[in-house]
Amino acid sequence: MRVVVDQDLCGTTGQCALTLPGTFRQREPDGVAELCVATIPQALHAAVRLAASQCPVAAILVIESDAGDEELASADPAPSPVEVERHAAKDQRNPGGHDGTV
Amino acid sequence: MDVQETMAACRDAFAELASPACINDPYPFMRWLREHDPVHRAASGLFLLSRHADIYWVLKATGDAFRGPAPGELARYFPRAATSLSLSLLASTLAMKEPPTHTRLRRLISRDFTVREIDNLRPTIARIVAARLDAMAPALERGEAVDLHREFALALPMLVFAELFGMPQDDMFGLAAGIGAILEGLSPHASDPQLAAADAASAKVHAYFGDLIQRKRTDPRHDIVSMLVGAHDDDADTLSDAELISMLWGMLLGGFATTASSIDHAVLAMLAFPEQRHWLQGDAVGVKAFVEEVLRCDAPAMFSSIPRIAQRDIELGGVVIPKNADVRVLIAAGNRDPDAFADPDRFDPARFYGTSPGMSSDGKIMLSFGHGIHFCLGAQLARVQLAESLPRIQARFPTLALAEQPTREPSAFLRTFRALPVRLQAQGG
Repeated sequence: MRVVVDQDLCGTTGQCALTLPGTFRQREPDGVAELCVATIPQALHAAVRLAASQCPVAAILVIESDAGDEELASADPAPSPVEVERHAAKDQRNPGGHDGTV
Repeated sequence: MDVQETMAACRDAFAELASPACINDPYPFMRWLREHDPVHRAASGLFLLSRHADIYWVLKATGDAFRGPAPGELARYFPRAATSLSLSLLASTLAMKEPPTHTRLRRLISRDFTVREIDNLRPTIARIVAARLDAMAPALERGEAVDLHREFALALPMLVFAELFGMPQDDMFGLAAGIGAILEGLSPHASDPQLAAADAASAKVHAYFGDLIQRKRTDPRHDIVSMLVGAHDDDADTLSDAELISMLWGMLLGGFATTASSIDHAVLAMLAFPEQRHWLQGDAVGVKAFVEEVLRCDAPAMFSSIPRIAQRDIELGGVVIPKNADVRVLIAAGNRDPDAFADPDRFDPARFYGTSPGMSSDGKIMLSFGHGIHFCLGAQLARVQLAESLPRIQARFPTLALAEQPTREPSAFLRTFRALPVRLQAQGG
């Protein structure tokens, strides 16, 4: 699993830092969220998915990787997968068939 | 109850929410609305949504499917903004800004509201809580009634704000007197006299913050106003004095009537459901669960005060919301939607036990702080004030009881109190 915080999008609500204080924290100067671990242990995968779903601005991107073992959490990813994820997330914002948990 | 009959012809939910029956208990009406007219179009043309899923989606899609009014459109969405100081201040608050301006301004103040900063405030908050309870104790112990709303619920957030803003306490008490009037004036259906009263109070706040900014400019201290003045002076082209005053005005308005309301409702819940008090006597996880359930059961701001403008025609539940319509969300109804929270009228902190703050064990979001880019800046500050207060009230005054029925403010928008008289119950009686 790879986790990316889209720091341009981050709404500085601190929700992720509240939810998983050992995994996310807020930057000193402006409250923007960042990861505080290099890898996400398997045991936290479900919790990280939940934190991502609860982010009020959907700024936490979880990229499930098949490789599994080499789980690198990066705050500075190549732009393309982020864009792909974000557009996918937008497409799901569909009035009518939406669900509270997304 | 003949809710059905009354509501069958409900032309304007905002007017209904202002009725005496709804001031006393708005939830039967909200239930009716959610079940029969969940995408309500009010007489004024405003839309009001009351289902949890719709509200959640609108809040999350703000900035995407919905936008704030552009500066050139204020006259359209706030016809009285040209002549009303309160409405023109509202138009320049953070809540009305859009990215990228919103992002930049919010980040200027976010650093004082991070989880860590608010945690650092805990000892200060605990000290204020203890001092206010000490001050109430003699009268209570003499068997007298004390107005918990004024002496505690309102005083605590005011004193915390005075600390954050670097203001003398007396100045804060002076400003706070006008907050209720301003909030009423901002309601979309405020009368002209209500708006005039709001403007008179806003003028005082405006003048005070104008002076405060000058004082902090010449004598900066370690507080939010000094920090914002510093940011402003480095960046004069983009953050004007007017914007700075609007930001402070917005924080003042958003911060305290709402926190006071939640403290009042929490105490009422303690008194109404003594079997639930055990949550406040154990660990912090139990206290958190109690706090979240208070926030869910009684959202202080019942509907959204800022317009969300549809960017296109949007179909929701068989109703088309036309492009450019002003859409409001009835947060208090969403929090009681059985599709999100089972048995929603039951006060049950177990829903939030051990969960991530703001999310139920079923993975549903408690809506009182909003969602999306305008998520409440002070959410954690409010939660910490509640968490530091309730166990201390419980421990200090275990026999607390209502002295008489609380008096509510007659507001369609804010579920707040005018008075909450309490006393101590006679021992062994």
